[in-house]
Amino acid sequence: MSGDDAHFLIGRALGQAWKRENVTESYVVIPPALIITDSDGAAFTLGTEYDVHMQFNVLRNDVDTGEFAQRIEYRRGQPVRIYGRPYGVKSFSRSRRHFI
Amino acid sequence: MREFSISAGGITVAGATTLIFVNPASAPNPNLEFLRFWIGQSANATSAQQRAQLETQVTAFPTLTSATPTKLKPSDPNASVITGGTAGAAGTAGTNASAEGAGSKTAVWDDAFNVLNGWLHVPTPAETRVMPAGFASGLGLFLPVAPATLTNWAFGLVFREV
Repeated sequence: MSGDDAHFLIGRALGQAWKRENVTESYVVIPPALIITDSDGAAFTLGTEYDVHMQFNVLRNDVDTGEFAQRIEYRRGQPVRIYGRPYGVKSFSRSRRHFI
Repeated sequence: MREFSISAGGITVAGATTLIFVNPASAPNPNLEFLRFWIGQSANATSAQQRAQLETQVTAFPTLTSATPTKLKPSDPNASVITGGTAGAAGTAGTNASAEGAGSKTAVWDDAFNVLNGWLHVPTPAETRVMPAGFASGLGLFLPVAPATLTNWAFGLVFREV
């Protein structure tokens, strides 16, 4: 049994590990993309819970972030951003805990 | 509302493959409204574009791995009217076809995506696809061309019984 490349970015989504050699390219947006891998290797995706605005919950490594969003966007060199109502836009915090 | 999901992960596909096939039950049973589809590849470092397709297929249906729908509301006492099946017959669902079946396919939604980013299709309420009970066709989530890497595919869908 061989181990993973130590440089792999390994996140978790949809109940399984997601392995990538590189972070997601700039301007990838969920949807229509399914997964965004940030520079931590964390996998972002949308869950199946929704709110009154038909926005879906934002999952990071299969953990609910407590946010609902219409879109999740990634640009290299910047934190992951979410767009939704009523807040407009939020960025993932440097502490890796919240969208602010 | 009673919603159910069918998904699979870490799958090795044979090539141009029906990933999931759901065939509505006979009337009078609930119609199936499809709310979400996704495809991704959980372990692949190579960027590549891949076509995806929603299609309907009449008999003869694909040969599949049986897949039982999972309740999104676990406390719901009712199971889905759709059960797991390997033959794609009415009222059954399965994944990862090993044979596509001779029945003709009709493409109803075409798209393409990068395998590193995956594909998530969440129709707006006006865009959802409803497969009526007793319909002669099933709905398939299909890779119309073989992917460059056949391993570690993950995919799924969510439907509601209406």
